[in-house]
Amino acid sequence: MSDRETLRVCIQGLLEKKRRPTEFSDSDSLFISAKLDSFSMMKLIMELEEMFGIDFSRVDFDVSLIDSIDDIVRLVDSN
Amino acid sequence: MSHTHFPPSNTFHHRMRGFFAIDEREPVVAYCQTAAGKIALCVAAGLALQLVTLVVQPDHRWWQVVAIILAAAGMAYLPKYRSAILFAGTSFHSFTSLPPTVNAHVALATFMIFAWGTLVLVRRNKSHVYARRPVITLIFVVVGMFLISQLLPAGMLRSGVLALMWLINTYIWFIAYAIVDQRSRHVSSDMFQLGTMQPFWGSTTTPFGKGAAFLRKTLSHTSLDLVITQIKGIKLLVWASILLGLKLFLLWLTVEALNLPPVEQALAAYLRGEPYPILIGWAAISAETADFTLWLAVCGHAIVGTARLAGFRLPRNMCRPLEARTLAEFWNCYNFYFKELMVDFFYIPTFLKTFRKYPRLRMFFSTFMAAGVGNFLYHFLQGIFLFEEIGFQGALDRFHTSYLF
Repeated sequence: MSDRETLRVCIQGLLEKKRRPTEFSDSDSLFISAKLDSFSMMKLIMELEEMFGIDFSRVDFDVSLIDSIDDIVRLVDSN
Repeated sequence: MSHTHFPPSNTFHHRMRGFFAIDEREPVVAYCQTAAGKIALCVAAGLALQLVTLVVQPDHRWWQVVAIILAAAGMAYLPKYRSAILFAGTSFHSFTSLPPTVNAHVALATFMIFAWGTLVLVRRNKSHVYARRPVITLIFVVVGMFLISQLLPAGMLRSGVLALMWLINTYIWFIAYAIVDQRSRHVSSDMFQLGTMQPFWGSTTTPFGKGAAFLRKTLSHTSLDLVITQIKGIKLLVWASILLGLKLFLLWLTVEALNLPPVEQALAAYLRGEPYPILIGWAAISAETADFTLWLAVCGHAIVGTARLAGFRLPRNMCRPLEARTLAEFWNCYNFYFKELMVDFFYIPTFLKTFRKYPRLRMFFSTFMAAGVGNFLYHFLQGIFLFEEIGFQGALDRFHTSYLF
């Protein structure tokens, strides 16, 4: 499974837990649009740390870094 | 994988929602995009806002409401001048909301220079402590200014220091968001940033709409998006008016009809050893909780409704909190922007840096920093002027935060 597909499955799981629709495009906003809340964001961060070894304490964190699948892939590539 | 149950679409609830979903009706949306429709939108918003303002902010005059609506309409229909209108609208609102004294206006102008200087400083020096730790730095500034004011003799200088301290304290979370926004990929102009500080559509000490970066993300980009956002804004303003009516009815019911004591009075009676009957006590608590909740809802909906008229499709501050299934979800639904403030400045920074190898401890400690420490600091700063008004001991006695047992 590619990175994008893995991310999509992970995020769909978070959306399902929040009883939100699970269809979204790679560029759709996840957090700024309030589809997902801050607790979901922390769960996603923990998944990204485990999956890609990203050290967020070294990153100048802003929610726009992980607000969509496109943003996350860009972050992973830059790391 | 768990299965999510969605309620059937022909329930009474869904039918009611469908009835009120005028923003989904094409004839309404089409009409509101005409010149007559735009004027009708502004008039409707103005009337609803004026109704709410009469009770929520009785010192506001009708022309201030007109100015707010004009600024919102200007931002919506003249996007080329959006930043300038936002800055002008906010400045006008801020200056006309102050006491009409030269000192107050000079203090506000000084503060605006301070805020602008902050933006320039953090942009030029991203490694400066002010840029990296905005909240702690600002708290030190406020407390430091307060302590300095206590050492000064009574007079113009002391009054000036206190006035500036009061303003920085009032805007502290707005400045913090503006500093953090300097890190985002596309930084807003200084004019836009300054316009978001206690913006003309209203706010409390909590920024409704967070910072400029969040506001830009919620901005409507097409004329269809804009008109739908504006209709949603008016619906919210009308809903605020209805809730205000409910609040006033509840007040009449509890005070005039049932003669319930306020909670403070009931508590004092209990402490004296003369408690009210248990049902009266519970009724008083329930009534005051409902009253406060309605107040929070009315204020939040009025602010967000007006911001939506300007084209920002902001989430509501309160949205069906009784449907929340967890405590975390409840705070998301009950006081969204306050929750976001705690998350942005306490939860996330703590989470990213501490106990990374221990997930449960990490989440627990981050929650403690937000719900405990952050909450305390927020309310401490809100009440800091008590130390000036009634002295250190008096302020501590009256300090309502329950975290210091």
